[in-house]
Amino acid sequence: MKQYIVRRIGYSLLSLFLLSLTIFLFVRVTGDPASLLLEPGASPEDIANLRQQLGLDQPLWVQYWKFVESFLTGDLGQSFYYRAPVLNLYFERLPNSLLLASVAMVLSLVIGIPSGVLAAVRVGGFWDNAGKVFTLLGLSLPSFFIGLVLILFFTVYLGWLPSSGAGTPAHLVMPAFTLGWYFAAAHMRLTRSSMLEVLGSEYVKLARLKGLPEALVIGKHAFKNALIPVITLAGINLVVMINVAVVVETVFAWPGIGRLLYEGISFRDFPVVQAVVVIGGSMIILVNLLVDILYALIDPRIRMES
Amino acid sequence: MAKRIEGVAYAGREDDPTDGGPPSDLTRRGLLALSAFGIASLADRTAFADGAEGQLTWAVHVSLAPTWFDPAETPGIITPFMLLYALHDAVVKPMPGSNAQPCLAEAWKAAPDGLSYQFTLRKGAKFHNGEPVTAEDVKFSFERYRGTSAAMLKERVKTVEAPDAETVRFVLKEPWPDFLTFYSSATGAGWIVPKKYVEKVGDEGFKKAPVGAGPYKFISFTPGVELVFEAFEGYWRKPPTVKRLVLKVIPEEATRLAALKRGEVDIAYSIRGELAEELRHTPGLTLKSVVLQAPFWIYFADQWDAKSPWHDQRVREAVRYAIDYKAISDALTLGYSPITNSMIPNGFEFYWKPPEAVYDAKKAKELLAAAGLGRGFNGGDYYCDASYSNVAEAVLNYLQEVGIKIQLRPLERAAFYSGYSQKKMKNLIQGASGAFGNAATRIAAFVAKGGAYCYGNYPDIDELFAKQESELDVAKRTEILHRIQQLVHEKSMYAPIWQLAFLNGVGKRVGESGFGLVKGNAYSAPYEDVTIRK
Repeated sequence: MKQYIVRRIGYSLLSLFLLSLTIFLFVRVTGDPASLLLEPGASPEDIANLRQQLGLDQPLWVQYWKFVESFLTGDLGQSFYYRAPVLNLYFERLPNSLLLASVAMVLSLVIGIPSGVLAAVRVGGFWDNAGKVFTLLGLSLPSFFIGLVLILFFTVYLGWLPSSGAGTPAHLVMPAFTLGWYFAAAHMRLTRSSMLEVLGSEYVKLARLKGLPEALVIGKHAFKNALIPVITLAGINLVVMINVAVVVETVFAWPGIGRLLYEGISFRDFPVVQAVVVIGGSMIILVNLLVDILYALIDPRIRMES
Repeated sequence: MAKRIEGVAYAGREDDPTDGGPPSDLTRRGLLALSAFGIASLADRTAFADGAEGQLTWAVHVSLAPTWFDPAETPGIITPFMLLYALHDAVVKPMPGSNAQPCLAEAWKAAPDGLSYQFTLRKGAKFHNGEPVTAEDVKFSFERYRGTSAAMLKERVKTVEAPDAETVRFVLKEPWPDFLTFYSSATGAGWIVPKKYVEKVGDEGFKKAPVGAGPYKFISFTPGVELVFEAFEGYWRKPPTVKRLVLKVIPEEATRLAALKRGEVDIAYSIRGELAEELRHTPGLTLKSVVLQAPFWIYFADQWDAKSPWHDQRVREAVRYAIDYKAISDALTLGYSPITNSMIPNGFEFYWKPPEAVYDAKKAKELLAAAGLGRGFNGGDYYCDASYSNVAEAVLNYLQEVGIKIQLRPLERAAFYSGYSQKKMKNLIQGASGAFGNAATRIAAFVAKGGAYCYGNYPDIDELFAKQESELDVAKRTEILHRIQQLVHEKSMYAPIWQLAFLNGVGKRVGESGFGLVKGNAYSAPYEDVTIRK
C-alpha cells in the first residue's frame, strides 16, 4: 500500500512539473506582453525597458526557475497588467468561483440524478426521451449561447434577473444554470447508465422476487450503488468547474477565476495565466490522487494489481 | 387506465399502466422544484430598474488597468483618459470648445522667440487631500513622466522652472511649435499629481490609492470588476452634480446592452453593428456616437518599389475609386463614421479638407486598364488588426469586383502594430491611429521620412515638413502643412476609409452624458458636466 501511494505521488509530481513547464512555454509562444502593454508603435527602447522591468529579458531557464521558486514559496509573482500580487488577485476571485461552482454543482446533481434515475426506470419512455434531449442540448449547446439566451429572456424580456455581476442570489441564477447544464447532462447520462447496470444485477432481481415494493428496490437497493461513480465524477467536476468557467464568467461578468484567466490571456499577463493554470491543475491532480488512494483503500484488488 | 399492482416492477415494461404520463406526485414535485428554484422570489425588479440616487453607472468594455490612475504612465491611446478626466486635472487640456483650455493654469503665454512657455497656476485649485496645487507639483509631474513621447519631451525641454508657487516656466532647447500640443493633449505630462503624497507612498502606493486634483476622488477599485469615484466638492471648476460614479467592467457587448436595457447601468460603451441597431430602436435608450480622432486607411507599403504594381499611382488611385466607403460605414457603424477622405482627423489643428471621396468602380477599372492591369492582378497581402477584420473584408470585396485579388492577413493587435512599425509588412496595410496630437504629429509618424510607420518617403514632402518644424508663424505653418496633405492626397499615398465613430448607449436617467463635449474624446468628459435627468 505504501509503495502504491508513493508511486501515485511520484506520478502526480511529474504531472505537475510537466504542466508547469508546458504552460510556461505556451504562454511565451503567444508573443511579447511588453508590446501589448505599451501603446502601438512604442519605441524599441521603451519596449526593452518594460521587458527588463518585467523580467522578460532573462534567459528562459532563469525565468522558469523564478516561476517555480515563487510558486513553491507561495508568492505567485506580480501581474503585468494589474501590477498587483497574483496571489491577491487569485484569492479575491476564488470565493466567487467556489460559490458559482458549488451552486452549479448542486443544480447539476439536483437535475441530473433524479432525471437519470427516472430515465433508467422508464427506459424508452417519455422521461427517458426527454432526458436524452436534455442531455444532447446540454452537451452540445455552447455555454455562451445558453448564457446570452437566458439574459435575453430573463433580463431583457422579463426583467426578472440581473444581466451580470455578483452580489445577490439573483446574480447567481443564470450563470449557475448555464454552467450547471453541461454537467447536469453528464451526471444524468452516468446516473442512467449506472442505474441500468445496477437494476440488471442479480441482487436487485432477488429483491424484486422477494416482493419488495419497487420504490424500495430502486430507492434503497439500486440507487445507492448506482450513485458511487456519479459522486466520484461530481467531485472531479467541481474542481473543473472552479477553473474552467471562462466563457460563463465572461458572458455574465462574473468576477471569478475564469475571468481572471481570460484577462490574463488577453493581456499576455504571464504570471496570471501561469498561476491560474498551475493552481487549477494542482487541484485536479490532487483530487485524482486522493481518489486513487481512496479506491486502493476500499478495493484491495486495485492495490494488488498495481 | 389499468391499476398498478403493488410489488410489480413495471419499469420499462409494455404493460406499465402509467406509461406516457407522469404520476401525479411527480407533478407536485415538479412544481415544488420550480418554487425552490425561486425565480419569482429572487427577482427584485424595483431594485434594478432604478439606479441609486445621485449615482450613475457605466458599463465599460475594457478591463481597467491601475497604470491608468497615474498620469506619469499614460500610453498613447485614448482609453486612460476615461479615468484621467475623472480623477485628475491638467495644466492645460482639451475641454468643450477648446483643444487647449487652461485648467489648473489660469493663463499661459509663449515667449515670442518660442523658447519658453509660462503658466500661471489657478488660485484655490486643490488636490483631493486638501493640499494646494503648486508649481512644484507641476514640475514634479513633468519630471516623473515616463509615458508616451516622454523621451521626446525630455529631450526638447531644457529646464522646468518654478520661480514661485504659482508660476511654472518650461524652457526649450530650441523653438518647438508643438510643445503645447504634446504637453496638453498628446501626453499625460501636463496632468498633475501631488508631489508630497507621491513621494510618501511611492509609485506603486499611488496606483493603489491615487490622489488627484480632478472632479472625482478615488474610492475603491476591484480589478476587473468595478471602479468607484465620489464627487470632489472642492473642485475649482464646479462641484459635480453626480455624486458617485461607478464604472463596471462588462466585457461582453450583448451583456452590456442587456444591462442598459434593464437599467442596471446608465451608460454602456461600445455597442456595435446589429446591437447598435437594436439599441437605436429601444424606447427610452439613446444611441450616442462619438467620432474619434481615429481615421482608418489603406497604406500602400510597396509604392516605392518600382517592381510592384503599387508603384504606379494610377493603381493606387484605382483602389480609392473602387471602394464604396459610405456603404461600409452604413453597414458597420450605422453610417456614423464620416468619410473624410483624409488620414488626418478632421478635428486636428492644421487639418486640410480634401475633396470628397468618390465611389466609381468604372473609373477604377479604367485606371487599372491605363496602367496595363485591365485584366486584374494579384495585389498580394492585406494586413489588418484582427478586431477590424470586418472592415477589411468589406474592402476586399470591393477590390475583388474591379479585379484586384488580395489575401487577407488579420493579426492580433500587438503583433499587427509591431509588424507595421518594424516595416515587416508589404503590399497593403489597413492602419489606423487614435493618438492625440495635430496634423504635424500625424504626418511625422505616417508620412515624413523617419516616421515610425513610414515605409518610404517623398523628398518634396520631407522638405516641406522640415520647413514647418521651426515655423512659429501659425498662418505660414498652416499653409505648409496643408500643402503636405494635398501632396499626400495627390500622390495617393493612402486610401483613407473612414474616421471611426464609437457607438454608445445612454439610458433614460442620464441628462448630459458627456459624449462629444470634448472633441475627439471617445468617453464621457468632462465628468463635472455630466448630469442626471430630473
